[in-house]
Amino acid sequence: MRWRYILNIIGILIFFFGLTMILPLLVGLYYQDQSVIPFLKSMGITVVCGLLLYLIFKSEKAEVISQREGMAIVAVGWTAVGLFGALPFYLGNGCHSFVDAVFESVSGFTTTGASILTNIAAVSKGLLFWRSFIQWLGGMGIIVLSVAILPFIGVGGMQLYKAEVPSPVPDKLKPRIRDTAMILWKVYALISLAETILLMLGGMGLYDAVCHTFTTMPTGGFSTKNGSIAHFDSVYFDSVFIFFMLMAGINFSLHYQMIKGKPLVFWKDSECRFFLCTVLLLVIVVSINVYGSVYETIGNAFRYGAFQVVSIITTTGFATADYEKWPAMSQLILLLCMFFGASAGSTGGGMKCLRIMLCFKYCYRELFTLIHPHAVTQIKIGGKAVPDDVMRSVVGFLALYMGLFALSAVMLAGIGVDFRTSFAAVAASVGNIGPGFGLVGPADNYAQIPFWGKWLLIWCMLLGRLEIFTVIILVVPEFWRK
Amino acid sequence: MGFHIASHLALENKDVVVIDNNPEATRRISDNLDVQIFMGSGSSPVVLEEAGIQQSEIILAVTNSDETNLVACLVANILSPSTKKLARLRDADFDEYHRIFREHAPHIDTIINPEIEVVKTIYRMMSVPGAVDVGEFADGRIKFVGVNLEDESRLAGVQLSDLPDIIGKARPLIAAVVREDELIIPRGNDRLESGDLVYFISEEDKLLDTLSLFNKYDQPVNRALIIGGGRIGFRLASLLEENSIYCKIIEQKPDRCAYLAERLNKAIVLHGDGSDQGLLAEENIQDMDIVITLTKDEETNILASLLAKRMGARKSITRISKFSYFPLMDAIGLEQVVSPRLSAINTILQHIRKGKVLSAISIKGEQAELIEAVALETSEIVAKPLRNISFPKGAMVAGIIRKENIIIPSGDSVIEPDDRVIIFARREAIPKIEKILAVKLEYF
Repeated sequence: MRWRYILNIIGILIFFFGLTMILPLLVGLYYQDQSVIPFLKSMGITVVCGLLLYLIFKSEKAEVISQREGMAIVAVGWTAVGLFGALPFYLGNGCHSFVDAVFESVSGFTTTGASILTNIAAVSKGLLFWRSFIQWLGGMGIIVLSVAILPFIGVGGMQLYKAEVPSPVPDKLKPRIRDTAMILWKVYALISLAETILLMLGGMGLYDAVCHTFTTMPTGGFSTKNGSIAHFDSVYFDSVFIFFMLMAGINFSLHYQMIKGKPLVFWKDSECRFFLCTVLLLVIVVSINVYGSVYETIGNAFRYGAFQVVSIITTTGFATADYEKWPAMSQLILLLCMFFGASAGSTGGGMKCLRIMLCFKYCYRELFTLIHPHAVTQIKIGGKAVPDDVMRSVVGFLALYMGLFALSAVMLAGIGVDFRTSFAAVAASVGNIGPGFGLVGPADNYAQIPFWGKWLLIWCMLLGRLEIFTVIILVVPEFWRK
Repeated sequence: MGFHIASHLALENKDVVVIDNNPEATRRISDNLDVQIFMGSGSSPVVLEEAGIQQSEIILAVTNSDETNLVACLVANILSPSTKKLARLRDADFDEYHRIFREHAPHIDTIINPEIEVVKTIYRMMSVPGAVDVGEFADGRIKFVGVNLEDESRLAGVQLSDLPDIIGKARPLIAAVVREDELIIPRGNDRLESGDLVYFISEEDKLLDTLSLFNKYDQPVNRALIIGGGRIGFRLASLLEENSIYCKIIEQKPDRCAYLAERLNKAIVLHGDGSDQGLLAEENIQDMDIVITLTKDEETNILASLLAKRMGARKSITRISKFSYFPLMDAIGLEQVVSPRLSAINTILQHIRKGKVLSAISIKGEQAELIEAVALETSEIVAKPLRNISFPKGAMVAGIIRKENIIIPSGDSVIEPDDRVIIFARREAIPKIEKILAVKLEYF
């Protein structure tokens, strides 16, 4: 482990991250609100810190980055960005305590969308823009972005990419990792542009359209309105959001292939097919369940049912309805959706469809071998056999995910949060969803969680966004051994 | 594979030169066949020149290595462009490219893969109930079927000329009868006897009717067990998968099992010995409609087939290479047998025959052959009644295909130019038939 080198890279990262604050600064200047001074301060601190780190730990340019170093860079980098991203919230009029600011910032970067802000309408426009913008940055990944545009992170880009991109088997769309990262960001930006235009066509103002696009595409879930998407109360907006949440929940390499002129690719890809079928099934079940008991017309039942299922399963976390008033079955389905998650290679969180699929197939294989003891079977996805090491990492991931979820939920309850809330809050944080149940339901927020509980959830959000391994490895003693 | 082809051709009095680099194989050939042998690599220009490639009409590159075969054809083309070149390509990755190679690779005239043919034959046997041997002509519209005549059949002991009275409608065209390993081309006063292997020709849609005369009824195959996951086993399993037939495949080598499991989607791959009674029982052998034994070792195949049938499998198809075993099959109760060797010969025959031959099928034991050819305008058989044509002894016209129609010929039938004729001929008569079919002008 070359810590000098790692800190040097992180210095660069923080420096450029500081520069991105120009954007909310401009927004603040345009609206003449009180966020201008805090942004200037934050930007100054961030840029200076980045430069200092870079200069103090100036080291020779390394030819290769080991997998271990790659993980360390990503994990430390995300933590650092989370902390520096909190500065505008802390210095501005958003949050009163430092933990709240960090919570809001990490919740943004990890695309969770859990908020401690009680009155969003009172927050300045520049700060709200920043809140949406960090979700957009975090969605496709700040490291992927750096790999794509920063020339000096060229070598070892693959190690960084693997450590950040949430997928059991990262797709390499191009022979060179930089080109791959570039393509992913371009596709991401292109779809975002499409959403902004569609929202504006429906009559939303430019500011709101951009902010909501910035939180839909990364499956984030922050809104600039107190009432989230319910504020707009329009079938058109609901449908646009549903569509783009689904898009964001699908593997981005498929979007790339579609843009390249293969329209059937969504249906041909077995994971995507599984994802869409699951969503459809759950939407139907939930709609039927809420029809009559909550909503009078089948149209409304479908509208709100579909929106909420898609919002939770893609781990976005927008709300158009208070699903805590729904029947128990729908609530449970939504809770399970939190674990389920979107496709691998998408911006969504959760366990990911691919892993669930592999897990099902693995279980089926076990049953199958009981019936045919001599059978030789391979677990296959799309006709291709899944190598054993991938399967092992999937099983390991699922075990760790559930284990850490259980541990964190117990700890949160130990801090003094009630049963329902601690269960759902941890599920919603690890899965990067946002709203949970109980105290943290769609109509409430995380402000009431105790001080240590917030730190615990911050840790959970980072765990979930970086797919556990990258973060948890830092606490494994073997990692630190020379 | 070269051995079988050389032997078949040598028996037709053709001049055959064999090139091989394995001393063992060359000794076996020189001991058994009347052919010339050169030691060396078939892709070597020196060896090819020495073997007289310039004078040859055709070169068959049929080694086990696809690459050697391709190079041999390439070299042969440089040395002697006028020689017809045929290459055997076994790798399934080439399947899609056979036609493209033929059209765009100037040094190859034809690509064959006998394994495809074996699999087709097995599939045909599965779909034609009770058939011992099945071949097809005219893109499958005409079937050529061999069945065993059993004691209970109402045709047993019937004189051929009485057949129409018994059946009451158009009789099937009986081309040949094999009785005690002797091939007979039956005439009106010959009788069918139980125990005969009867070869007949039938149109596809009338096939089931005809088979019912022989007490063979359609029993669709829904579940199949394949023993032996080699190239043929794998191809067959893929074909069965495509036709949604539930299929299990038993293979002995663990590596091969993993390979099969990766490439087959629905078929169940089992690791074990095909003659292991416990494994067969565990996999419900009694519910299998058919068991196909395809391992490399024919004794294992025979035993596994017998075991499977004894344990309740309905039918079995056994892969056997040695023709010397064929007479035994009946005695031990294995009706359906496939031979990769026979398939190999069948795939090659049509390319060797002179004239415009579309396909040629050798029947069991290689005593006779069915040839499907286009009747050329200048050929001797065109434009006169069949009875006026001086056919060699042991040969007959078994069918005429004129555009979409199929004519079962009589003495008065006349063959028109561009008809496709199906000729049945004993081995001795084949050179003469070739002469009749060939265009007379071809040599001028």
